[in-house]
Amino acid sequence: MSASAILELRDVGKVFGDTVALEPTTLSIEEGSFVAIVGPSGCGKSTLFNVIAGLLEPDGGEVRLHDRPVTGATGHVGYMLQKDLLVPWRTVEDNITMAKRLTGRVSSAHRAEARRVARQYGLGDFLRHYPSALSGGMRQRVAFMRTLVTHQPLLLLDEPFGALDAQTRLEMQQWLLQVWKDTERTVLFITHDVDESIFLSDRVLVMSPRPGRVVADFVNPLARPRTVDTLTEPDFVVLKARIMHLLHGGTP
Amino acid sequence: MRFRRFASLATAAALGAGSLVLGAAASSAATKTITFAYDFPGPDFELTPVVVAQDLGYFKAAGLKVNVSFPPDTSSTTKLLATGSADIGFLTTTDMGVAVNAGAPMLSVANYSMRNNWALFAKPGTKLTPGNLTAALRGKRIFSYGDTWTESMLPFVLRFAKLTNQQVKIVTAPTGNDLTDLLAGKVDISTSTTNYEIPGFQDSGTKGREVQLLGTKVGAPDIPVWVYAVTRSYAASHGATVKAFLSAVKKATVWAAANPVKAAADFSRAYPKSGYTNAYNLEGWKLTIPFLTNAHHQYFTQTNAQWSTLAHALKSINLISKVPAPSTYYTNKFLP
Amino acid sequence: MSVSDTNLASAPRRANRSSESVARKVARNVGVPVLSIVLLLVVWQAIVVGFHVAPYIAPRPYQAVLAVTQNWSTLWPLVLGTIRETVYGFVAGAALGISLGVIMAKVPVLQRLVYPVLVLSQAVPIIALAAPLVLILGFSVTPKVVIVAWIVFFPVTVNVLDGLSHVDQDLVNLARVYGAPRWRTFVQIEVPATATPLFSGLKIGATYAVTGAIIGELAASDGSSLALYQEHANTNLNTAAVYGTTMLMTVIGISWFLLVVGAEVFATPWQRRTVARRSWRRVADQSEGDSAR
Repeated sequence: MSASAILELRDVGKVFGDTVALEPTTLSIEEGSFVAIVGPSGCGKSTLFNVIAGLLEPDGGEVRLHDRPVTGATGHVGYMLQKDLLVPWRTVEDNITMAKRLTGRVSSAHRAEARRVARQYGLGDFLRHYPSALSGGMRQRVAFMRTLVTHQPLLLLDEPFGALDAQTRLEMQQWLLQVWKDTERTVLFITHDVDESIFLSDRVLVMSPRPGRVVADFVNPLARPRTVDTLTEPDFVVLKARIMHLLHGGTP
Repeated sequence: MRFRRFASLATAAALGAGSLVLGAAASSAATKTITFAYDFPGPDFELTPVVVAQDLGYFKAAGLKVNVSFPPDTSSTTKLLATGSADIGFLTTTDMGVAVNAGAPMLSVANYSMRNNWALFAKPGTKLTPGNLTAALRGKRIFSYGDTWTESMLPFVLRFAKLTNQQVKIVTAPTGNDLTDLLAGKVDISTSTTNYEIPGFQDSGTKGREVQLLGTKVGAPDIPVWVYAVTRSYAASHGATVKAFLSAVKKATVWAAANPVKAAADFSRAYPKSGYTNAYNLEGWKLTIPFLTNAHHQYFTQTNAQWSTLAHALKSINLISKVPAPSTYYTNKFLP
Repeated sequence: MSVSDTNLASAPRRANRSSESVARKVARNVGVPVLSIVLLLVVWQAIVVGFHVAPYIAPRPYQAVLAVTQNWSTLWPLVLGTIRETVYGFVAGAALGISLGVIMAKVPVLQRLVYPVLVLSQAVPIIALAAPLVLILGFSVTPKVVIVAWIVFFPVTVNVLDGLSHVDQDLVNLARVYGAPRWRTFVQIEVPATATPLFSGLKIGATYAVTGAIIGELAASDGSSLALYQEHANTNLNTAAVYGTTMLMTVIGISWFLLVVGAEVFATPWQRRTVARRSWRRVADQSEGDSAR
């Protein structure tokens, strides 16, 4: 494996009954990169994530993180879904520190960090609010901060902005890129929105269903930082066309 | 009052719900429809005279159509009469005492029974006598349904035994079952009238007669237990109806006392779902018969003495606030 | 980069209740119920007086109240007795209900096995149950407590079971991804997620608890009890005392219900608050965090 790979999948596959959810897949993710995974529903994106997170035991193959086998084990990635999964009975601060509460003791240092992160990313005034008082975008940001403070180097984000309106979504995308730059994490980002996958990533994996598999692996040539103008650059349009072609039944 | 009870109160209420229509088909123009309210939520053998009066056509001959209704609980017959929901009612004399004291204008128009057949019962195999009463009661659990009659009689028995309320344990269970509790050893003494309790012992395969001690032998006043009653206003406006009813019921009572087997069968036929066996009904009715007449072999006749005794008894245990004149309670003028 | 401000501005604020004056709040939460009760008493008085209802049929409201206040020294210990039966029974029923709900949620085989029995237990008319219970348990406080618990446990069990089986599985999975042990997931996720249905069950139980205690008292008491006091009043045609004790029983029932509601308000602040109450720990941490900034 390459020296800078944080995650490696070797022939990892999963079958549910008669359905091949994920064909044996081999994949290597470079440390610090932002990798988008795009594909229609049923293409095995979420199965792939669940296997990496350790929620699903693959039928075969191996998952390695920092060159250590972690197949079927949990507790080694940050994980976030389209649903924010904030607990309504905890304040914003306590939601951010939730992972610590679930695995050990929440120290005052943890709480201080939660407050610092919240303030840094514009939620300092809402630390003692309950999630029900927040807008969808704010809730999603809290959910992301909760993922951040786990200090896992690898973050799995499964359509985190899927439920937001277009305006908020664009703001959140820019915000995410900012945080990613600040914190130097590796991000695996599932989306069914091709624009989003290109706008955010260094690399786009395209998946297709029946059987679920990775059909293409594009290196994203677009320069950073990215702005609204990025969306109309020629490279963007070309990459988008190639991905769309694949998603609509074309061959690579 | 409720010291009868084999079927539980709840069952009785369920069975008795609604009312049975007795009497003539309402074809005759002269027929008058009245409602007779029993004292218990369900039917039992003390209704035998009313059932017989219907079966032998005495009501019809008297120009009456009689609906029998059952009160929702054992204290409501007075209220049914007072509100006009019923015309003629069946009450205990102690119910009369507290009703008059509470200002309800009740008037007793005939005795049902003439003497007090209320008794104490001990566990089968033991013996209860006036001589051993104090020892038999001291520190013991005595069952009461919490009804006026039992509450009125117990103080006299305790006084006779020279015991205070604190020296015995009175277990009050309005929805309980005295005999079951006695036979199961949950109480040491049950209290009831003999005509209800002895057939109950019999049904359960034990003998009640041997363990009974009549209340009148240990200080309880010898007064009638049950009466027929109306409101004063009903008596004033419907005197003829009251008289016709009592006349029919008296004929039926005399006949039923002479023919207990047929009479009990009549009752069992009229109320097949009463929850009692025909054997229970027959035994109960037979035990009732001796108490229906006074020393002069008269039915129904009331006396100043009985009501005066009652009033003084109730006053002495503070159940009523003052002793009214006996005439406040009764009249014999409607007797047949 | 500053994208946050627009979001903060668009945050949906709940109706700001603290801005509502205390007087208005009291008026709404206390005044309206009191007014409706007063209205009820007025209508009652009007009917009884207007139709010349005799006092032994139905008393005037003030007579009913007097029947309570004038006999308060006799009634007070009886009220305490009924409260004791209610509280013991409620606590026992709630504990049983919660335990059964948790066990059944965690062991599906047991759920299929036990559930029909539980339903059966509630189909038994509670009045029919009272007499046999007395035969087994005697005349003490025990059968009353058992009857109350019998009534209370069922809605609690059903609601806890329902709550636990509807906990968001994604949330449970998220806890697994964090590497949380099962017991911590249970305590931190499943238990608080079940708080609302649990309190629904407790509130249903609370409304019926006093009824259970009264049924138990009627079945048998060695000594006096509130139900027997009422029963005596009833046989003695003391209708004012009957109504008075009924009012007392109702007050006990409502008080207990309100106490449970109060416990819910205290235990689930997120249901009606936007911002958490201040606690000592938070105040301390807050200042430390602020000074560090």
